[in-house]
Amino acid sequence: MSKETYSIPIGPVHPSLKEPVTFNFEIYGEHIENVNLAPGDNHRGIEFMGMQRNLIQIIYLAERICGICSASHPFAFCRAVENAAGIEIPERAQYIRVIIAELERIHSHILWAGVAAHELGFDSVLYLSWRAREEVLDLLEYLTGNRINYGIFMVGGVRRDISEEQIPRIRKTLGYYKDIYSKIEDIFLNDPTIALRTKNVGVLTKEDALNFCAVGPTARASGVKKDIRQDQPYSAYADLEVKAITPDVLTGVVNGDVYDRIIVRLLELVQSIQIIEQCLENMPAGEIIAEKKLVKLLNQLKKAKGEGIGRHEAPRGECIHYVKLNESEFPEVWKARAPTYNNLMSWVPMLLGQQIADIPIVIASIDPCIACMDRVTILNKDNGQKKVLTKKDLHELSVQKTRRITP
Amino acid sequence: MTSISLFEILVKIIGAIVIAFLGIVIGLFYKGIDRKLAARMQARVGPPIRQPFLDFFKLMIKENIVPENAVPWIFNGAPIMTLVSSITILLYLPVGNIPPILSGYGDIVLIIYLLTLPAIGMVVGGFASGSPYANIGAQREMVMMMSYELPLVTAVIALGWKLSQVYPQLNVFSLVAINANPIWGLVGPLGFIGAILLFITLAAVTPGELSKIPFDAPEAETELAGGILVEYSGRNLALFGLTDAVKTIVMTSLTVALFFPYGISHLLAFNGAFALIVDTLFFLVKIFLVMFFEVTFIRVAVARLKIDQVSFAYWIPVSIIGLLGLMLIVLDTIIV
Amino acid sequence: MEYMKPDEIVELFKKRLNKSTIIDSRIETKTAGLTKSSYNVIWLKINPEDLKNAVKLLSTIHFPHLAIISGNDMGEEIELIYHFSIYYGARFKEISIDLSIHLPKKDLRIPTITDLIPGAQVTEREMKEMMGITVEGLPELPNLFLPKDFAKDTHPFRRDEKGIYPLSKNGNYVGNNIIRKEEVKKIE
Repeated sequence: MSKETYSIPIGPVHPSLKEPVTFNFEIYGEHIENVNLAPGDNHRGIEFMGMQRNLIQIIYLAERICGICSASHPFAFCRAVENAAGIEIPERAQYIRVIIAELERIHSHILWAGVAAHELGFDSVLYLSWRAREEVLDLLEYLTGNRINYGIFMVGGVRRDISEEQIPRIRKTLGYYKDIYSKIEDIFLNDPTIALRTKNVGVLTKEDALNFCAVGPTARASGVKKDIRQDQPYSAYADLEVKAITPDVLTGVVNGDVYDRIIVRLLELVQSIQIIEQCLENMPAGEIIAEKKLVKLLNQLKKAKGEGIGRHEAPRGECIHYVKLNESEFPEVWKARAPTYNNLMSWVPMLLGQQIADIPIVIASIDPCIACMDRVTILNKDNGQKKVLTKKDLHELSVQKTRRITP
Repeated sequence: MTSISLFEILVKIIGAIVIAFLGIVIGLFYKGIDRKLAARMQARVGPPIRQPFLDFFKLMIKENIVPENAVPWIFNGAPIMTLVSSITILLYLPVGNIPPILSGYGDIVLIIYLLTLPAIGMVVGGFASGSPYANIGAQREMVMMMSYELPLVTAVIALGWKLSQVYPQLNVFSLVAINANPIWGLVGPLGFIGAILLFITLAAVTPGELSKIPFDAPEAETELAGGILVEYSGRNLALFGLTDAVKTIVMTSLTVALFFPYGISHLLAFNGAFALIVDTLFFLVKIFLVMFFEVTFIRVAVARLKIDQVSFAYWIPVSIIGLLGLMLIVLDTIIV
Repeated sequence: MEYMKPDEIVELFKKRLNKSTIIDSRIETKTAGLTKSSYNVIWLKINPEDLKNAVKLLSTIHFPHLAIISGNDMGEEIELIYHFSIYYGARFKEISIDLSIHLPKKDLRIPTITDLIPGAQVTEREMKEMMGITVEGLPELPNLFLPKDFAKDTHPFRRDEKGIYPLSKNGNYVGNNIIRKEEVKKIE
């Protein structure tokens, strides 16, 4: 019997995708025979833009690589610059950075939980979990001034202190999450329909996870104990006992399926709460930034020469930035890598042999965050001429289009 | 068959139009309530109750796009076919104490046949759209149709068989007869449990028939972007919306007619036209309650199942429950 | 499991690869937290020919995690840095290893390492598209980061005539084959 396959495209715009990315599936019946992945629909040229800006401007650009990771990218970037320029940051700033990063992890993981439930067609859980997420967003707004894009990181420290009066508010939020955690756990781990849809779905073996360089909860759910907070502790993580969480902590076995990824993320919620509590207890007094005057800092960075990498365990996995300074206003190289970049390849073994119905949850299970570079230069197909479209051109084109479709 | 006068035909035509109109209006109204209640259960505000009406009117003035590689006459015919067939079923169902308009011209076996027609219409429309998403949706709808027929038929046959044992002279499959003799009064304790199991079977079939979560694999928004309906727009989509509303009324009315055909007028000692109105209102309350538990509540409480899981659920657990119910009713009759 | 010290790793590289291969080596030690716990970063500059051997050698120590390859157009040559890390999975043990190779502009070829680390494909393709580096052994695949119909001989991260014209204030990297300056002025 010959296998007649047909192809269906998912993306660049599809209800199951929160960001543009294209998949082409070869389907036989309901089963996936082959996957073709074509990202790049969201390339914004951020690294290219960054190399035209000074280091402090890049912090805010890095924050906008992704709305959800808006603490992770500046964290990694600041560490890279500090390593390159040899700046030591005060201990109190290290603790504040960790608190903000862990609050971000809480909000990111709850956001993911909601999205995953939506992909499973379980919209009630989406609404309830996103309602629970509001609490941590309010806290972040209270601490930093913004719900996302916190603007708190600065080369050499942080821009805002956490005062004594603010600590009870943080504890209140942590208490809130401790209270509702058992409910969240009950919904995700004990609901029969969620178990039906996630167990043995989208399996990534440990070997594949290593081979495809998977990071973050995706790798940990497959049994790779990889967590920079544990392996190469930085900032305040060096003082805290952080352990990489693998699903066997709870269930005793590692399957590497979507269910395991849910377990890992839920347990990391608890871990984040504990980390913040420890940070609040041990937070030393002192300065929050190495150099308060920005002009002086810029001058110092302008004279710096060297290269450095900054790594941070973002909610989705390791986030790594490489910066090379060459006694100039702008960095010579800025390379930012978001965790999804590495998890991209692991989609293929996860999706092969699964059903169409599994596509949304498997895609969502690595918590994708598609962000990158430029698409302004276009090639004119008619005469083969290259041309950069300006805002004026685009406006002209859209006017033409409007005239064409409205008689 | 008795000869029908012109007047009777006229009455039936007017009645059919009235019932169709009421079915659509009440269906859309209930859809609004269903959405509002689901929203409240999900901690949302939800759309206003008249939202389905607004949707309908908006869709009617929208452009009706037929895809390039669709088969236009099938593509445009499918929504009409589904709407007409679901309205036809409505004409066979009793509303409160009012007998069905078309009583005497068919029975519940015909209804079961008619129930497959909207689904077939959607499958045909899906295949005619020429989109891979719609194709997959149509395949899934067919699989689902094949899966839920057995439990549905089991529930209906069991009731008819029981009725034929008690009143051999009746036309046991006519809905009027079933409506006049509620199952709960005819059976002993064993049969009572059997009837409950049959009710559960029908309750499980209802979301499947209506393509609601957890059995909405053919439309699966996050997987197939609407599945069967993906290419439909404008008037055609509005008609599918109406079909959905009418089908909800049909399935809930069927449940009410089979299992809860009680009126309250005799309890309150009303008679005449007033009793008719009270019973009709009570009927609306009953179908609302059935809709709430079979559709609204289930769809906010669970996740969507995959098509193989849907198929398995209908063929194995639901069918077993149905057959068990049938067996208990048979046992009840034999033992007594 | 036995963990090698950073200087031992550098020694191992010097011993097992050609003497001339290791052009430069540097070990950085950074501290963090109140406890001033330290971690190490190794920077190695090696000959491009020995890249594959170096990765193979690294694999014998511990299966390396490749984070990304970063590229830098330095004028006459292009620098590629492979950011690896090994010994992950144990507290304080992870060591970052950054292998740097300098490729002359005339001969922009590197061997693929996807046979050793399959996950390197994405980042190798990025370097191919953005830097115009020929990756030997990598199948010919459509563009991953750039649009599918993007010009074949234009590479956005290059700072020479093959780069794209940046409409920015520091116009050092003007590529004149794309748009003439007069045209830009006309548009603006």
